[in-house]
Amino acid sequence: MAADPGLLLTFLGAGAVLGLFVLYPAFRVLVYPSLNDYLSIPQSLRWLQAARNSLVMMVISTLSATLLGLVFAFATTRADVPGRRLFRTLAMLPLFAPPFMVAFAYILMFGRQGLITKSLLGLNANIFGWHGLWLVQTIAFLPLAMLIIAGVLEAVNPSLEHAARNLGADEWTVVRTISLALARPGIAGAMLVVAISVLADFGNAVIIAGGFPLLATEAWFRMEGMGDLKGAALVVAMLLVPTVLLFFLERFWVSRRVYTAVTGRGSRIARPPTPPVLKWGAVGVCTLAGVMILLVYVGVIAGAFTTVWGRDWSLTLDHWRLAADRIASLWASVRIGVLAGLITGAVGVLVAFLTSRRLPLRQVLDFMAVLPGALPGVFVGVGYVLAFNATPLGGTPWVLVLALAFWHLPMGYQAASARLKQIERAIEEAAVNLGANGLRVLRDIYFPLLLRALIEAFAVSFIRAVTNVSIVIFLITPGQVVATFVILNMIQNNIWGAAAALTTMLLLLTFASIGITWTTVARVVRTPGIA
Amino acid sequence: MNAQPHVRLRNVTKRFGSAIAVNDVSFDVAQSSFTTLLGPSGCGKTTILRMVAGFYRPDAGDIFLRDVRVTDIPPHRRNTAMVFQEYALFPHMNVAENVGYGLRMRRVPSPEAGPRIAQVLELVGLSGHELKFPHQLSGGQQQRVALARALVVEPEVLLLDEPLSNLDAKLRVRVRTEIRQLQQQLRKTALYVTHDQEEALAISDRIAVMDRGRILQSGTPLEIYHRPANRFVADFVGLANFVDARVVAAGRVEARGVTLAITDGAPSGPVTLLLRPEAIRLHRQPPAHAANVLGGRIAVASFLGTLARYWVDVNGMRWTIDVPSPGDQLLSGEVFVEIPPDRIHILKE
Repeated sequence: MAADPGLLLTFLGAGAVLGLFVLYPAFRVLVYPSLNDYLSIPQSLRWLQAARNSLVMMVISTLSATLLGLVFAFATTRADVPGRRLFRTLAMLPLFAPPFMVAFAYILMFGRQGLITKSLLGLNANIFGWHGLWLVQTIAFLPLAMLIIAGVLEAVNPSLEHAARNLGADEWTVVRTISLALARPGIAGAMLVVAISVLADFGNAVIIAGGFPLLATEAWFRMEGMGDLKGAALVVAMLLVPTVLLFFLERFWVSRRVYTAVTGRGSRIARPPTPPVLKWGAVGVCTLAGVMILLVYVGVIAGAFTTVWGRDWSLTLDHWRLAADRIASLWASVRIGVLAGLITGAVGVLVAFLTSRRLPLRQVLDFMAVLPGALPGVFVGVGYVLAFNATPLGGTPWVLVLALAFWHLPMGYQAASARLKQIERAIEEAAVNLGANGLRVLRDIYFPLLLRALIEAFAVSFIRAVTNVSIVIFLITPGQVVATFVILNMIQNNIWGAAAALTTMLLLLTFASIGITWTTVARVVRTPGIA
Repeated sequence: MNAQPHVRLRNVTKRFGSAIAVNDVSFDVAQSSFTTLLGPSGCGKTTILRMVAGFYRPDAGDIFLRDVRVTDIPPHRRNTAMVFQEYALFPHMNVAENVGYGLRMRRVPSPEAGPRIAQVLELVGLSGHELKFPHQLSGGQQQRVALARALVVEPEVLLLDEPLSNLDAKLRVRVRTEIRQLQQQLRKTALYVTHDQEEALAISDRIAVMDRGRILQSGTPLEIYHRPANRFVADFVGLANFVDARVVAAGRVEARGVTLAITDGAPSGPVTLLLRPEAIRLHRQPPAHAANVLGGRIAVASFLGTLARYWVDVNGMRWTIDVPSPGDQLLSGEVFVEIPPDRIHILKE
């Protein structure tokens, strides 16, 4: 069908908006330091150290998180593993925690004043440093790895496993040569995604890394401590190199190598039994890791009700009073989150619709819509400071809103795109055939079918916006201090009780929005058939 | 049947890039007839259907609905409701909303639309399913909703694009009979696309056999089957034995040193004979008073229920021969093959 002028105009408008809010800030970061600044990087011992440390953490945390994720993915996709639903739920929990919460909870549990280390075991443990960060990142990014690998494992057709058995493979050989072999691209993909997250992890690092320099935190120290904007830009530019590399490796190499889809018809037959050693081994590992995950929530919630952590274990509500004094910050988070969510949802669905049309240069639009996924939060934060602080937007909450909205754009965009691909072309043609013009097709067919994607994109963007720290710390304005910023300050000033109380409120807010999203989707969206 | 054709294509050509999907096709669909475009995949049959619906614009030529040239009318302004191969039911609308969608687009007020929806659902046997969603229906039921959705707008021409290909074999036969009955009952003009020759023979008033963007022959199912215009049509529709032969005299052909009597007239020279499997008879003993009897040997026998199919070696050729209502024993070994002269069709190409 010929492209009508309205569609073309919208296309150009969307391109301009993405150019301004995705490409321009990134461009500003990269050109802010001079060539000489870039060339002087090798002379700065501190930066080389930070770069080396970031890479080391990337390697060890990625390996451990992916390995644990693989065990969880395996356990939760085999029907004969006991407790698999519980394990899946447990492994998802870190996904909903603010990005500093695992570190905070483990300080409470395993730190010098730790409930487990000091009060139960009587140890004088120091969790600050690379080993603490390793533990924290392993738990924090386990869900990412599990979800990706489980998606691939689930797609392995049970008939293939039966066929291998039928051809003479024993149950171990089946797992080795079929199930895990087919999951290899998924494992590789999970490693790349986790590696990006580890490199970009600001929240956990800023709390628990102590004096251990890392690229993600260095940018903030430069700006906050020394007002060194150029240094901050240099550091995030250094951080961008590996994340962009990993991102495109994942997108253009690994994700095209997933061959589980080639096996023809889906099948509902059960998988062959899991070898008992493997089964019970997985149950053991999952139970242990599950306890560690539970401690994240238990620690923070307990911290909110304990008089003086590590000294006076009596219960109190004092911290809640202190937290209630800062309740305004929570509402500021909600306001900013709602605006960011609305923008992510609307722009994501619109761009997905545009890239689904046969328009020239739609790949450019697609590229700009997925690119933020490759950018660390601190990079986006510095980018928006450089791009918009000197504009009329500077000093308003809108810089933060837009930064969060466009950083989360890939989630909304990819969800809507996937949804659009499920809608057969013939459905649009059927509507046209029955007399609907272009606008009616959009209103009657695409809007209702994409409504679910829109609501979910809003919810994900909202939740991530209210729990964000890596962008918030760069773009906070005095009039709009948000909850995560307050919590971070409290933790660094050892006001643990109130920090825990405010974090608990944030958690309640997160889970309430998930609940509201579910019920809204169930009530508003009338497509029970296509999930 | 009305004298004026309901749908007319005049010298229609459609290219996709460098490939010619439809090559200078002219073709009529008679009023109230059931016309089928039959051909292998990629022959251009669906492209013709979609040009009638308005999804593709011809690169050359014109399409008329009665006297009206519709070539430039956009698809949503044509009254050519289509049943899609994948049904294309709106997943977010229930059965009544799906069926009522075309009426809504035509601004039919609901006091009128309601009874019309009910009536057409009754017609396709889906009364009581109004509030179900497409995913709650079986494949056959979804197919009927798609049919009802097209019928309810009282289309000028009903277009059907391989509507049965997603159904299992038994259901396919049942639904095709239902579609045919509905079409006759409503006296709708229908244009149907399929690659299944048996389906085309069973359902159509007229068949147009297509290959590589052209219509090779159009005619009634009987004409297409018994008097195919060329070897492609003969081979695509039904099973065929081809015999290279020469017309040696009026009523006589010679094939591989054997002379056969024929009733088909043809000028002398090389010809291809078409022998349908059921046109040939098999005997254990040489039949008396029969023309065209040859000796043969059964190579393979296959029991198909209502008939037995034999592959018989005759004079260096292997023929497929169908024998109806086989008894308790299949034939084997040496047999006698009889070809009634009036069942030999000469392909003139």
